[in-house]
Amino acid sequence: MATSTGKSGEGRSEAASGLLLVSPTLIYAVLLLAAPLVTVLVYSLSLRDGGFGLDNYVTAWSDRINQLLIMRSLTVSFSVTLVTVLLAYPVAYFVSFYVKPERKSLWLFLITIPFWTSYLIRVFLWKVILGYNGVINSGLLSLGLIDEPLQAINYNVPALVMTLAHAYAPFAILPIFVALEKIDRSFLEAGRDLGESQLMTFIRVTLPLSMPGVIAAVLIVFIPTVGDYVTPDLIGGGKLPMIANRIEGTLLKQNNRELGSAIAVTAMLVVAVVSIVFLLLNRRFLKGAK
Amino acid sequence: MTTNDAMIEFRDVHKYYGDYHALRGITATIRPGEFFSLLGPSGCGKTTLLRTIAGFEGISSGAVLIDGRDMADVPANKRPTNMVFQSYAIFPHLSVEENVGFGLRRDSRSKEDKAKAVIEALEMVGLKGYGKRAAHALSGGQRQRVALARALILKPKVLLLDEPLSALDKKMREQMQVELIRLQRQVGITFILVTHDQEEALVMSDRIAVMFEGEIAQLADPETLYRRPNSRKVADFIGTMNFLPASIISESAASVEIEAAGFGRIQLEPGQVMGGATAEGAAVGFRPETLTILYEGSAASDRESMATIEEVVYFGDMTYYDVRIDGSETNVRISMRNVFGRPVLDRGERARVGWSPGALVLFR
Repeated sequence: MATSTGKSGEGRSEAASGLLLVSPTLIYAVLLLAAPLVTVLVYSLSLRDGGFGLDNYVTAWSDRINQLLIMRSLTVSFSVTLVTVLLAYPVAYFVSFYVKPERKSLWLFLITIPFWTSYLIRVFLWKVILGYNGVINSGLLSLGLIDEPLQAINYNVPALVMTLAHAYAPFAILPIFVALEKIDRSFLEAGRDLGESQLMTFIRVTLPLSMPGVIAAVLIVFIPTVGDYVTPDLIGGGKLPMIANRIEGTLLKQNNRELGSAIAVTAMLVVAVVSIVFLLLNRRFLKGAK
Repeated sequence: MTTNDAMIEFRDVHKYYGDYHALRGITATIRPGEFFSLLGPSGCGKTTLLRTIAGFEGISSGAVLIDGRDMADVPANKRPTNMVFQSYAIFPHLSVEENVGFGLRRDSRSKEDKAKAVIEALEMVGLKGYGKRAAHALSGGQRQRVALARALILKPKVLLLDEPLSALDKKMREQMQVELIRLQRQVGITFILVTHDQEEALVMSDRIAVMFEGEIAQLADPETLYRRPNSRKVADFIGTMNFLPASIISESAASVEIEAAGFGRIQLEPGQVMGGATAEGAAVGFRPETLTILYEGSAASDRESMATIEEVVYFGDMTYYDVRIDGSETNVRISMRNVFGRPVLDRGERARVGWSPGALVLFR
């Protein structure tokens, strides 16, 4: 804290005013983030008949259903992430490279329109489209193309992925767009000048330079979807629970805080490990990008 | 015209951006092995013209030929040119050697041969041993060398340089000027340089095209450009030139007789008579170093005038005098090399000024 010029008093007051500035956020973070986390951690380690131990984790990890649900959560999240990023990249690319500079903010504004309605309403929208009595089924029925509602389009993983991908698309577009915007256009001209076609210039120059944005998008989509429980509940119709639904059930319905907390901490650890892998990848790309 | 005389040929090239007429009928040839500069103020179209050679900019009408071949349908990646960008455009995600070897992917040579070529290219630009460095760890001058190596390794017929020295500090810039000249002699290919720095163009080029508002105002070698600018505009843009009002007394095929304020009657050869006068009317122009202040015992001059010293600017090796020649109403600048033992004159002193009719140019 002491500054090299010896004006440590000034430095201290500067640090103090800095602390004062962040204190509302800090208090908020401590009370509503750190404290609950610690509580959950303590619960997960405490045993029902008193004392502490790892028994809850053993129970949680050895449960076939938990294993299945965490695998399903990861599968759904990975699929959602893949679909979202693959769909978001061309949109971001288009806005960055083909939209006139003065129109770009309008386009970004349009991209955020889905956020104007609540998430629940957007999920219900997909239920209305894909559901048993939904738009697609009743449409096909009234056209006489099918005799009874299709089961294949609802209550399954693809429906879940579609809904989540739609919900998270804007989150994925923005970081990729920012990464593409930062690419000096002379790099692309240099790629062409050095004999590469447009496609090869994209592969050798644009894509690697936009990777930080892609990885940011991956993290932004992946992390919340692993823990999502509203969407599986509504779209899956209760038949496709993910790990978050399991945690909710164990904590609230079974009133088993200890085991529920252990599952929750486990899910967090899995997300943390995957995220760290992506972050390391990101660092590799960022290292080169100055 | 055979292809041997022209590496680049512009045939009445026009370029419009919407209503804006960026290139207004450029016709010029650039010879093989020449160090050619496009010189002009910003917005004159010099960079646009360079980019039409590289293929980054289409043209509205006319033709651009490289080595006798019309480039109309040839995309940038298929042209026998390579470019050093103003920002250098060194790929930040690649190392120095990956940058230099970027264009070799489609080369049929073996991996070892390519690696050898990269090492040679780095050696040529004075970056031996820098191959493994990350691109972003380089200084401005080093980036420029990488950009040069990356372009030259592909052995282009023409190297295009878009204001490559403008981002460097003065000392580095002067060093790179010399190195670019050396490189150009070494590889022997055509270099085309875009610059707004007239000194840089004079130092480096075999020939220079001075551009204003989308047109080439004059295309000549540096000496002609400096001594015989074909308009007041070119004269003003390159170096410093003094102007004094003049009127034409008589003219014949062999000579033109004029009367210039302060100089009296002068006979000029037809080669000294240019167009390109401003609205003020005809004027004689001359460079500051073509006039000398005469001291006791100075070598005699062709012609002499008397003048009053109005301002003295001392530069150490040089002194600039702003003087008013008797009979004229505007100050002119004289630059004198300072010689030991010869006093620097003061403001208000009277001086004899020597000059020579051969150093004058008439703009009419």
